[in-house]
Amino acid sequence: MFKAIKPVAQVALLIVGVAMVGFGIKRGEADAVLAKAIRLCLECIGIG
Amino acid sequence: MKLSKIAALLMLPVLALTLAACSAPKGDAKDATSGDAQIAELIAQKPSSAEEAAELYQQLLQKENEIFASDNALWEKVFLAANKDTPMIEDGKNYGDFLLDTIEGAKDQFAADELKTLKAGAQQVKEIEDKLMALEKEFPGCGSTPGEGESVDASTAGMTNGESGETKFPSFKGKDLDGNDVNSDELFSKNKVTVMNFWFTTCKPCVGELGDLEKLNKELAEKGGQVVGVNSFTLDGNKDEVADAKDVLSKKGVTYKNIWFKSDSEAGKFTSNLYSFPTTYVIDQNGNIVGEPIMGGINSAEQREALNKLIDQALAKSEQ
Amino acid sequence: MDKRKNTASHLLARFRGLIQAAATLATNIHLPNFAKGGIYQGAGKAVCVPGLNCYSCPAASGACPIGSFQSVVGSSKFSFSYYVTGTLILIGVLLGRFVCGFLCPFGWLQELFHKIPSKKLSTKKLKPLTYIKYAVLLFAVVLLPVLVVNDVGMGDPFFCKYICPQGVLEGAIPLSIMNVGIRSALGKLFSWKLAILIVVAVLSVLFYRPFCKWICPLGAFYALMNKVSLLGIRVDHCKCVSCGKCVKVCQMDVDVTRTPDHAECIRCGKCVGACPVDAISFRYGLGLTGDKPAQSTQACENK
Repeated sequence: MFKAIKPVAQVALLIVGVAMVGFGIKRGEADAVLAKAIRLCLECIGIG
Repeated sequence: MKLSKIAALLMLPVLALTLAACSAPKGDAKDATSGDAQIAELIAQKPSSAEEAAELYQQLLQKENEIFASDNALWEKVFLAANKDTPMIEDGKNYGDFLLDTIEGAKDQFAADELKTLKAGAQQVKEIEDKLMALEKEFPGCGSTPGEGESVDASTAGMTNGESGETKFPSFKGKDLDGNDVNSDELFSKNKVTVMNFWFTTCKPCVGELGDLEKLNKELAEKGGQVVGVNSFTLDGNKDEVADAKDVLSKKGVTYKNIWFKSDSEAGKFTSNLYSFPTTYVIDQNGNIVGEPIMGGINSAEQREALNKLIDQALAKSEQ
Repeated sequence: MDKRKNTASHLLARFRGLIQAAATLATNIHLPNFAKGGIYQGAGKAVCVPGLNCYSCPAASGACPIGSFQSVVGSSKFSFSYYVTGTLILIGVLLGRFVCGFLCPFGWLQELFHKIPSKKLSTKKLKPLTYIKYAVLLFAVVLLPVLVVNDVGMGDPFFCKYICPQGVLEGAIPLSIMNVGIRSALGKLFSWKLAILIVVAVLSVLFYRPFCKWICPLGAFYALMNKVSLLGIRVDHCKCVSCGKCVKVCQMDVDVTRTPDHAECIRCGKCVGACPVDAISFRYGLGLTGDKPAQSTQACENK
């Protein structure tokens, strides 16, 4: 019985993971990541 | 073998620490005397045409910059002292005299030999300025543009590294965030110095220094200068980004102009090539970039000093 | 005959160093940028790489997941990142701390430092320190960027700004070498971060992967996912003779025979190579083929 929980959890997490990624992209988070990744805020990487 | 590996490992942090210790590139360790001789020679020249005059003008200006560059830290102290006293550079007053007065007023800050260096430098600046004024009288307009976009190359001016030949900020036609047209030539020529600050909306230190920049704008206004902001998210006038930017600017109480231009223009490409923020450029009345850009916030003491120095240089140039 | 079944595991364990090097290169593919003093600004940077690799590195091909998370939640628009968390969950379930053992450039760096000959110290008695990384994850990465904000609702990326040594090594140092403006901007913050980098480097010579064990928030997240990861370690208890060689060789202080999916196991496979009876192997798949506890001799013989 307990053994069955693990594969269920794994599949569930996979689905949740994909869903979260999709939702995040839709929200504009991927653009936010890109915007920060190509414009270095010097303080953010510990310069200054 | 063990020792050499550890030594090699330690070299890396030592190298990095050496870099941290170095700030701005130091000027040349040139002989003061050979510099003097060159300056004297230039001053003795009598140009016969407007072009020669313009060339000589630029060479003298660059020599003046060199004087400041060779004792960076010392001159910064002088400029700081000047800012506190506010003896403004009056029209017609020789910049060299102004420096001598400031050094005199702040002489307690310096050691005897430092004073000697500063006074000697200021004296040379005074002589250069005299010559520049004479040139301007004889060939009016020779100081405004470096002869049709030809800049004096480094070797003719006797320059090696440090402040290099003039780079013009790419001219552009854009708009400010309220939709009014902005033209780069007008923007720069109306002010003796323009401090151009590049930022973007989600950059916390950029937003953090907006207050300081607003204060700087008010200070510069008294000297005939301005601060202009360029938010790289707002290039091409993206409406949402412009709205976000305006929101942040109003929250921080910013009144100075923020502008945008097309990303495929020269200025736009210039901005897109910047990859670290905030970055601040100092531009003189003729649209030339003065010195190296300041990277990172201007709220640290060293960066503020560096910025002030550039501003003074631009003001001095625009005095001509 | 049994050895053949585990060939894949043995190969994986044996070529780990090569895989780490390849992963570091793939994560930092834009090498010419080191000479140019610039950074890659293409669309690839919208995607998170699995290991700890700062996007300020000139050669970086993608975005650091930890840095991305902080930059999203630190912005005034968002307080949580579904995109980055979802990516981390996916990587966690698909690979777990295999990322740490095979794909993370900073992990590889620590191992290279550890190869430097010196007195080696054990971390067995320092197990409580392994909990610090969860605190780093919770506070520096998740909470502080959201809670400690300025007047416009923006937060600092606390881990990136104050702690991460990878950013100094890959970003600050190469960029300040090539760029005079950045060099002039180096100040107290850089000195602090550089000190951290040097301390981590020295500790890595003495201990095995101290940053991974004690500080890395990314490792902390993957550690939590180790128990539900599709990639795991399997111990065949029918073969196991309890000789203890695997425990001795494990540098993450894990007893693989008891807890093969322990949070501290980075799937390096050293135990796979050390086992004299070949009882240990990597396994991939849903938890149906989980580890079998010691069964009766009859069940073993029936195999």
